[in-house]
Amino acid sequence: MEIGIFSIGDVTPDPHTGQAPSEHQRVMNMIELATTAEQAGLDTFAVGEHHNPPFVAPGTPPVLLANIAARTTTLRLSTATSLITTNDPVNMAEDYAMAQHLSAGRLSLMMGRGNTGPVYPWFGKDIRQGIPLAVENYNLLHRLWREKNVSWQGRFRSPLEGYTVTPFPLDDVPPFVWHGSIRSPEIAEQAAYYGDGFFHNNIFWPESHTARMVNLYRQRYAHYGHGTAEQAFVGLGGQVFMDERSQEAVKFFRPYFDNAPVYGHGPSLEDFTAQTPLTVGSPQQVIERYLGMREWAGDFQRLLFLIDHAGLPHDVVLRQVEILGTEVAPAIRLEMDAARPADVPDSPTHDWLVERRRAGNDPVPGGRQNTTAEEDADA
Amino acid sequence: MPEILTVATGLSEDSTTSRLAARLAAATASALETTAPEVTVTEINLRTLAKEMVTMTVSGLPSPALEDAFAAVQRADALITVAPIYKSQPVGLQTLFFQLIDDAALAGTPVLIGSTGGTARHSLAAETSLRPLLSYLKAIIVPTAVFAATDDWGADTSGMGERGGLAERITAAGAELAGLVHALRPATAEETEEQQHAGDRKQRAAQMSAPPAVRRGPVDALDPNAVTPFAELLRS
Repeated sequence: MEIGIFSIGDVTPDPHTGQAPSEHQRVMNMIELATTAEQAGLDTFAVGEHHNPPFVAPGTPPVLLANIAARTTTLRLSTATSLITTNDPVNMAEDYAMAQHLSAGRLSLMMGRGNTGPVYPWFGKDIRQGIPLAVENYNLLHRLWREKNVSWQGRFRSPLEGYTVTPFPLDDVPPFVWHGSIRSPEIAEQAAYYGDGFFHNNIFWPESHTARMVNLYRQRYAHYGHGTAEQAFVGLGGQVFMDERSQEAVKFFRPYFDNAPVYGHGPSLEDFTAQTPLTVGSPQQVIERYLGMREWAGDFQRLLFLIDHAGLPHDVVLRQVEILGTEVAPAIRLEMDAARPADVPDSPTHDWLVERRRAGNDPVPGGRQNTTAEEDADA
Repeated sequence: MPEILTVATGLSEDSTTSRLAARLAAATASALETTAPEVTVTEINLRTLAKEMVTMTVSGLPSPALEDAFAAVQRADALITVAPIYKSQPVGLQTLFFQLIDDAALAGTPVLIGSTGGTARHSLAAETSLRPLLSYLKAIIVPTAVFAATDDWGADTSGMGERGGLAERITAAGAELAGLVHALRPATAEETEEQQHAGDRKQRAAQMSAPPAVRRGPVDALDPNAVTPFAELLRS
């Protein structure tokens, strides 16, 4: 199982001081977050994509990920998320392929549609076309990473004739792609169609909602003949704040929670931790809570925690990373890996994907011949 | 077994808003019972959901109780919404509820608007905010809305004798809502034949203007069997 952290680079004041770090400091902090994650034994660091204050998540994640790749050796790198709507898929194909080479195959991506309206017009796109953009853009990206001399026409960017992405993906095998969505069944369906992974943010929602999206993706994955529903690739977000003494965790975190940009001045910490995956307490409580998710999510293969938001001091965040890496992740990994049946794949690594390609088992988008999915295509 | 749901913001223990909602529900149920068996009436007082609605507005998180309330709206065959008028508008909690509910939950649902206030000067207040809001949600709102001023709870104040008191207006509105619920029910074979011979022009007109396809509820968007196949998304 792949366990790590993600950051969206929010520049948030510490409620105790009213001060936020400078943008430069926040960028440097994100890098240290990634290197600390590797040292602490976490598998993965993922970064989001933003185009406005108060965020310093990169506008082009490969720029930051390339820097981190050079400073690390085993850490897996990913995005949470890459915008598949407002970016040019040709640029994405080039930049992420380059980052894949630079990281020696430690790169995967998570696709998202973005949560900030004005980003669409800033990049010349219409927000009402969100889903069609995600569909067309990813379809092109998928081809660009597998075909050379591509001829292509579509609605949202200029046509291509005789185009080959450079560098071509490492070993001709593209980075693994997860599709992220909170509420849109179309994206779960898209993930299933391609045999890609499905990632649910999970953290601000009641688990009953997340469970239904995960189930939708699993059923459709099986429908497209890529494997059984149990074999699909599921990822979940997590949100925690830990102290060995659970009451101390609550006490320390409460002012950060109460003033947090996303949910501050709304629900109480107690209500929110009861109704969403936010867990504030001891490492053991975190382990139990997240292992419990196997009941409704199945053998999910990726778990990424948000731990650097809401203005928490950087040294406090680094301590959280250490606890996650040294206590929480090993315990969760141990149980999940033991429980996962042998025929359910783990979170795909580059080597695993190369082997799958070599064995001729790459998923066929829309399913192979003689599956029920063929009826959809013919309809 | 039609289910009538009242959604009201009753802020005091003996709230006239809640009382009006109950009276409207009773009038509707009584009018419906002539053609439909076992009408049930369910009541929601938004006062009990006030903090949770604000929490959901600020954080996006729906509490279990709020989700139950939204589900009740989705299920209801008819909705009666009653709000007190504060400073010329229905109290914010009432509009907030409809601003939080899923876009599709009310589509095609028969709705009756009620409101309460100090004097008849505010009798059209609900028309300017609640009716457009519910129309946006594609509810089918009966033309008559009932406003009860404080002195309506005494004797008939209309000066019109039999035809203008609060009681008569409640009865008329209830009958309108019941008529709409009845008209939107998918007709059985016998009913269809009966209606073809019915002399009542209005009833036939109502039947023709409200095809069953208009009524009701979105398919569950997260049902794996109801999802739009990706091949269609690729083609469009």
